[in-house]
Amino acid sequence: MRFQKLAAAVAASGGAIALALFAASPAIAQTTGATSYQANLQALNNSGASGTLMVTLNGSQATITEHTSGLAATFSGNPYPHVQHIHIGAKGTCPTTAADMNSDGVISTTEGGPSYGAIGTTLSTSGPTTPASGTVLNIAPSGASFDYSRTITLDAATLASIQANTGVIVVHGLDPATLSAKAQAEKSDLVPALPLAATSPALCGALVASQTSSVPTGGAATGAGGTSQTQHNVELLGVALLAGSVALLGARKLIPALTRS
Amino acid sequence: MRNVPRRWSPRTAAATFAIILAVAGTATLIVGYTERHTPPPRPADAAAGRTQPTSPSTPHTKPVPTTPTTTALGASPPVDLSIPSIGVRSSIVELGQNADGTIEVPSSFHVAGWYKYGVTPGQNGPSVFLGHVDSMSGPGIFYRLGALHPGDHVRVTRQDGRTVTFAITGIRQYAKSTFPTIDVYANTTVPTIRLVTCGGAFDSATHHYLSNIVAFGQLI
Repeated sequence: MRFQKLAAAVAASGGAIALALFAASPAIAQTTGATSYQANLQALNNSGASGTLMVTLNGSQATITEHTSGLAATFSGNPYPHVQHIHIGAKGTCPTTAADMNSDGVISTTEGGPSYGAIGTTLSTSGPTTPASGTVLNIAPSGASFDYSRTITLDAATLASIQANTGVIVVHGLDPATLSAKAQAEKSDLVPALPLAATSPALCGALVASQTSSVPTGGAATGAGGTSQTQHNVELLGVALLAGSVALLGARKLIPALTRS
Repeated sequence: MRNVPRRWSPRTAAATFAIILAVAGTATLIVGYTERHTPPPRPADAAAGRTQPTSPSTPHTKPVPTTPTTTALGASPPVDLSIPSIGVRSSIVELGQNADGTIEVPSSFHVAGWYKYGVTPGQNGPSVFLGHVDSMSGPGIFYRLGALHPGDHVRVTRQDGRTVTFAITGIRQYAKSTFPTIDVYANTTVPTIRLVTCGGAFDSATHHYLSNIVAFGQLI
């Protein structure tokens, strides 16, 4: 009788374990108020660079994901800092060569202004994102290609401009060797201590509504592990329990000899 | 009748425990064995890291065969998805976002889902579908996604009754920590499809796979 009760208890707990293993945890749907925009970044000033930037707005919070490649790689032996901004409040377009007012072969940041406007937000890697931090080199992403990802809070002017389709992404910093002799000798229109190449636009792209109206963050939790290698630990446990049973039966045979003495 | 309290002899106790262990061990083995499956297939080109299989500026090297009916359609949500080469046939549930901004996943392990804040299949842009690679007990609807090859067909039937066919152009595995948001969700100049499931190592502490497998396709 006792054994039957024990067996029943073991079977019941085994059933509970099996149920727990099979149970799924369904996800709960949630509407999103977030809206995504995208800029196809194209070369300016023959930089040869390219890139894509996506920004998802949730209120004034902006989640930015960007990939660039083909930019100038080094500056004085160090990774080339590429200051980048959301320019706002103008036509919402990228300049053409017609914008090169002084005919030095380079569309400077100032010359591009009528197309893309002033700096609204600085896309720095850390710290401030204000227009005033727009030329701070040590918080700019750097190198020939980079993946930039940051969530920041936008000011009202930048937000309004993006929503009015006049937000433009501009990534700065040219290889001086690609400039005309005249342009190589010029000072930056933004930071006179720097050469013109350092602050001139290399990539430009107007922010437009994304085809994916709200881009989710991160990957997808699309697996529960039932076919992964770790699941085989269940079988190992079973083998261990059976081995314990055999060992006990073996020990049981020794018990009379032990208790008799 | 003598009133001697019954006491188990050591032999009986040992036998009892042996039987308990035998029953528990057998039950565990049965559970383990019935749930046993070979690990899901990995993509043939499962190299980690960034690829740009979808960038409009770098078109796929794999030529898209058959009739070039790549005219984009208007919006109509998907109702059915089939991938004959890996034996997938599924109705479609709509997926939104979780509270933390990540993509929702199907509540059933055996039904594929479509991301409703993206384009519908056949519209210009990336149409995103998710399916589980496995449940806690066996294969899920996208268990064999990693076995897809370039050129394999994906057929989606839409609510308007039209069926659109996509050809697979690339299959990649990415660490979730570096999920290629741009490659998957960025605008495309033609109708495209992305099929997403889990892959790589399973973290038994968090109960999540560490990677995602993504199959990219283009309307044909």
